[in-house]
Amino acid sequence: MAKEKRYAMLIDLRRCIGCQACAVACKAENGVPLGTWRSWVKVIEKGEYPHVSRSFLPILCNNCENPICVRNCPTQATYARKDGIVMIDPHRCIACKYCIASCPYDVRYYNAFKRIVQKCQWCNHRVDAGLLPACVQTCPTGAMTFGDMHDPESEISRLLANSPVQVLKPEKDTSPQVYYIAADMAAMRAVGTPGEDEE
Amino acid sequence: MEEGVQVVYNVFHEAPLGVPIAIYFYMTGLSAGSFLISTMAYGLGMVKYKPVGKIGVVLAILLLVLAPLNLIIDLGQPLRFWHLLFYLQPTSPITYGSFLLTIYPINCLIYGSFMFAGKAKLTRLFGLIGIPLALSVHGYTGFIMALGKARALWNTALMPTYFLVSAMVSGIALMILVVIIQGLLFSPDHKINKELAFDFGRMLGFTILLDLFLVFCDMVLLLTLDPEAREAAQLLLSGAFSTYFLGVEMFLGAVVPVVILLSPLTKRRLVPVAIAAFLAMVGVMAMRYVLVIGGQALPLA
Repeated sequence: MAKEKRYAMLIDLRRCIGCQACAVACKAENGVPLGTWRSWVKVIEKGEYPHVSRSFLPILCNNCENPICVRNCPTQATYARKDGIVMIDPHRCIACKYCIASCPYDVRYYNAFKRIVQKCQWCNHRVDAGLLPACVQTCPTGAMTFGDMHDPESEISRLLANSPVQVLKPEKDTSPQVYYIAADMAAMRAVGTPGEDEE
Repeated sequence: MEEGVQVVYNVFHEAPLGVPIAIYFYMTGLSAGSFLISTMAYGLGMVKYKPVGKIGVVLAILLLVLAPLNLIIDLGQPLRFWHLLFYLQPTSPITYGSFLLTIYPINCLIYGSFMFAGKAKLTRLFGLIGIPLALSVHGYTGFIMALGKARALWNTALMPTYFLVSAMVSGIALMILVVIIQGLLFSPDHKINKELAFDFGRMLGFTILLDLFLVFCDMVLLLTLDPEAREAAQLLLSGAFSTYFLGVEMFLGAVVPVVILLSPLTKRRLVPVAIAAFLAMVGVMAMRYVLVIGGQALPLA
């Protein structure tokens, strides 16, 4: 019947209110240890009073089409499924952590309890059961859309076709599969050491 | 545009590669350097280096046995290290490294045992086989950094060359100290082979100059490439890593030794040359530290 699936995610930042519900849902669904995150909402402020604004940027694994982590993993513990989800085989991973060092998006982390590397897998256990990823399910404003790009009638296909979209760090040639509408340049850019003021 | 932008909330995950990785790079570098000097005598027939040929290969083997222990200890699943040899990823430098780290010390052992048995021809053969192996075993670590595409400080084509040159710096410096210690403690008349030490000193001086040239090229590009690269350069030049980079790696580890080793006043005096060699070794360790730890200090998200 239908062609093979190819999943993607689209986040419409005009709808995002920065409530972090996606981050909480993700933590609960996936049992993500303290101090680590599979998804979170970056928040920035810009401008000076009275012309100020806040921008949000939900960040999660981009499940890249051309993933550096898969290329660099020495044991093929990280691999891409045919539907595009980049997986980690928990029994194969030796936790050399080279994938964490290679990922341009800082979305991988070391799970000190399981002693392996983990990351967002778009809740593959839910998706395979016909459900949506926990973050998408939870988002109270409907800012997140998840679906099959190969199905031209799917919501994500129509949104991607009809909207101006961006991805994070396209220059890294990773072909990220998390798309954004109306992402702020200042939020997308990772410049500035934490805790240090900009010069 | 960056004016007035404040990050209110963001997540920073712990840096994945720690000090053991820097030490590992340092030890493989020292091993490759010592081995190459050993083969200059027994593989390429430069007789004046013969006094350090044997100790060179012993050090190369010792260091290369200890070096991968740093890696295995650093694994989250040390008992799964064998996955590296059975589940291969042809695009990952670590896969190649796993085999190089297995083959290179075995070749060193064969080369060394023939050397101690006094079989010149076979020693020469395995010495020559070992040269590309030694270059690869350290060169591949440069590729680990260079292919860590996320980090501006690592992702440069200079990296493998930079690693090899700094390996030679640390290897030659180690040999100077070996010549001195060997002379003081282990030679029958407690005489130091000064000519050999000074010869290595001159070689060390010029190798450090080459190293400085590579650092200069790297810096020029980092400062002009893109915002991430400029941030990385500033981290080394004025930021949190400037003490290690400018103070230890550049000044103490490179400029001071070059001045000592190439100035006519000090280049033929044993104490200054020994100090220069020690500083050069410290400088290379600082370089590994700055590169591995500093390379991960900038936020990515």
